[in-house]
Amino acid sequence: MTGALPGLAYAGPLRADPLAGLFGILQTTRPDADLDLIRRAYDVAAAWHHGQTRLSGDPYITHPLAVATILAGLGASDQVLCAALMHDTTACTPCTLSELNREFGTEITGLVAATAALDQIKYRDASTLAQAIATAKATDRQVLAIKVADRLHNMRTVQYLRPEKQLRKATEARDFFVPAARLLRLEMVEAELETLASTTLSRHRHAHTASGRLLTAMAALLPPATQARWREEWLGELHTLPARRRRVCFAAHTLIGIPRLAVTLRRPAPGNRQARP
Amino acid sequence: MKYAIKMTGPVQQVLRAMLADPAASRYGLEISKLAGLETGTLYPVMARLEAVGWVESRWEDPDLGVREGRPRRRYYQLTQDGAEQARLTLAEISRIREKRRATLSAVQPGTLGASL
Repeated sequence: MTGALPGLAYAGPLRADPLAGLFGILQTTRPDADLDLIRRAYDVAAAWHHGQTRLSGDPYITHPLAVATILAGLGASDQVLCAALMHDTTACTPCTLSELNREFGTEITGLVAATAALDQIKYRDASTLAQAIATAKATDRQVLAIKVADRLHNMRTVQYLRPEKQLRKATEARDFFVPAARLLRLEMVEAELETLASTTLSRHRHAHTASGRLLTAMAALLPPATQARWREEWLGELHTLPARRRRVCFAAHTLIGIPRLAVTLRRPAPGNRQARP
Repeated sequence: MKYAIKMTGPVQQVLRAMLADPAASRYGLEISKLAGLETGTLYPVMARLEAVGWVESRWEDPDLGVREGRPRRRYYQLTQDGAEQARLTLAEISRIREKRRATLSAVQPGTLGASL
């Protein structure tokens, strides 16, 4: 199963059923699935997320749908699929748990609540995770499976995040979610997460060298709205330089220009044309 | 003549380098090599050219970077208007320079002092 589901990007009136991909997978993994219930959960989530978009520009609902689709491939229950579809409604929209409870009952609502609550913990410590899983009830495992699928889809689309956030998500994926997938015996998910985390981390390896850190720190002299762009641009340039000595030279020369760049970027542009951040 | 941008030496070097292939998109380090400028000089020049609309910059397709295991690059390209303006301005500067040289060489040794 790959990242984007075909058909999701089109928002035109002739768009195919957005649930076609999910239902297609359920035909093989869960022929007995309650499609009406799942569609209802999708409709509720889509209504609450209406108008929200992801950083990729896709409608927000494509994310919970992708998470549910990952879980459908793993043969998850109707309750888990519904909870996955609605897992961000209470955190990202005015939707409340009592509203979900009225519509879907305590089991699904409990999963949604527990999934949202899991975000309160720090995804750092693999040892506490192991402990938690060993003593966990079935529902906790289901909740963890939703979070693992959530992170898998986030890692598939990680390139749209700011570099610092990419780094954090990838570190958490490596240290918390890969062991979590292993504990849940989700081998495919574990392998994909591991690959995505390690490629992301290797892409950012220069962010932590002396040159990278110095450039990142000095970019603070630039107007705030432009800092992220120049940081990322320079880290990208660092990557093209194979030798450490050349990276240090690049960093040194670029640093010399930062004060002038700061002045240039603060100067009002002629004809009010602004440099894009 | 008043130019949209102060035509300093580095600005001219960057524009000449980019005009060699006006449709090409290049990242900063490439331009710095082509123009023979250090990056500390280059980036402020690029920011100025971008501010006046002679140059546009954009991120490359992020998927490309992901596949190659590196951050995405920022690419610069002359705008159509920018290429036009840069060509005209550089030609104007060469003309002025040429004229000045011609005037200077036309002046007979010794006559300059007499005319003052």
